[in-house]
Amino acid sequence: MDDRLRETLSAMMDDEADELAVRRLLSFSDQDEVCGQWQRWQQIHDLMHGTGVAADSVSPAADVSAGVWQRLDGGAPTSEHSAIKATSRQRWHWPAVAMIAMALVVGFGAGSGWQSAGEPELIAAPASTEPNAAATVASVSEVSLQGLDDRQRQQIHRYLLEHAQHNSVGAGRGSVGYARVVSVDAGGY
Amino acid sequence: MSGQAGTVWLRFFLALAVMVLWVPAKAQAIETQPQTANSTEAVEWLRRLGPAMNMTSYRGVFVYGRGQQVHSMQVAHRYSGSMVEERLVIQDGGSGEIVRRGMEVVCVLPAQDTVTLDAIIPSGPLADSFSDQLLPATRWYQAEMLGEGRVAGYAVVKIALNANDPYRYSYRLWLEKDTGLLVKSQTRNADDQILEYFQFTSLDITDDIVDSELQITTADKNKTSTMSLEPSNSVTELVTRLQGWSLDWVPAGFEPAATPRSDKRQVIAFSDGLAAFSVFVEDIASLDMPTGASRIGATTVYLRPVQSDGRQVLISVVGEVPPITARKVAESVRFDSANVDSATASLIEHQGASR
Repeated sequence: MDDRLRETLSAMMDDEADELAVRRLLSFSDQDEVCGQWQRWQQIHDLMHGTGVAADSVSPAADVSAGVWQRLDGGAPTSEHSAIKATSRQRWHWPAVAMIAMALVVGFGAGSGWQSAGEPELIAAPASTEPNAAATVASVSEVSLQGLDDRQRQQIHRYLLEHAQHNSVGAGRGSVGYARVVSVDAGGY
Repeated sequence: MSGQAGTVWLRFFLALAVMVLWVPAKAQAIETQPQTANSTEAVEWLRRLGPAMNMTSYRGVFVYGRGQQVHSMQVAHRYSGSMVEERLVIQDGGSGEIVRRGMEVVCVLPAQDTVTLDAIIPSGPLADSFSDQLLPATRWYQAEMLGEGRVAGYAVVKIALNANDPYRYSYRLWLEKDTGLLVKSQTRNADDQILEYFQFTSLDITDDIVDSELQITTADKNKTSTMSLEPSNSVTELVTRLQGWSLDWVPAGFEPAATPRSDKRQVIAFSDGLAAFSVFVEDIASLDMPTGASRIGATTVYLRPVQSDGRQVLISVVGEVPPITARKVAESVRFDSANVDSATASLIEHQGASR
């Protein structure tokens, strides 16, 4: 890598390189060398600016070069583009659901059609049901096993073991099931 | 001016009508599982898992953890022709081992005296049909490929099974690429916390498993207990054993599974193919039990003592389900001392309806 390419690379870091020079840099045969140089400078740059970015989190130069090529050529980028497409589709999805819900409320008044507006949301986005689940779980009163006396603990232990046994052998869970039996048998919870 | 406003309103109602027609159609489309290439591939892998669990020969060491506990076990598994032979040796705590030869299981557990193994009659056919159970389960879980990796030196594929409702946990499964053998698994709650895990730390998939690796070696034969995996429990037999009580609710997809036979108390187990829970209903006389849930890793124990016909009865739901599920099931137990047949019928009816 000659000084001119080094200069281009340095200019690229400062976002000042011209297109022709960048094309020349990316066409350079030993891309590993360019990649290494980019990473070293990036690390120094980060240290100097105190951004505290860990050395291994620096974007691999291969990705950078692929991205730059895409910008230069305006060609159809590969994975990155489809990722963007996927997110934009998802982003569209939510306003659409919200819009429908809103339209139904406006059109028919809250109440009628409420159910059908709620359903797709619930099914389409399991994530949205999770906070609900967490909320209901919290409402289940907890019994501390440590707070129980020996007879009570023994009773629970028997249930646990029995459940583990027929769950393991009966349901063909194999090793996992047996491990549960052993785990209950060892106690200590 | 008014004409223009009219057109605007007409457009609005037309749009509304289209939306109203579109929403139920969309809901239905989602309910019947979006068959993306990704989920189809995941389901295809799950199809391989069942036979792989039994028909792969291997030896190795795995760890199993739940809550605060972690156990390490050595396992040797051999499939020769039609018979499955397996030996597990506990590597920590008290010494113990479990040996299975075909339909016979011999357990030597550290705290054997507390176990009532003679009451356990597990179901045979189920043991060989893990896949049959697992595949319908994909209706209650969203299967997804999460990529590839390496576990215990073997290349694996990672599959997510995310619960479609809050009544069950989600799973991550790691399957060995050549055989489909399960080499790692995690049970996660809605907050994505790992509640229970299983993972091989060393594994050797080989047909070269010798007899000596499958023989029981524990010296103390007095602690040995044998149980048989005879296929004797049919669902009908199981249901008719429930006397005087029935369940009004179980989460969709959970179906009765084989349960231990016992004279003193009544038990019924349910499974959706991945998760399972047992419902115990027992007279407890003088024993005073609290009401509420306890959790050990992914396992919930929900206790509900009630009065029925002047008797103190304890309803316990134990299983790998969230506390909310265990509570709802426990609260749905209905006592019907007058007519046993109607209670039985209602359970069967309910099972039919929940499918």
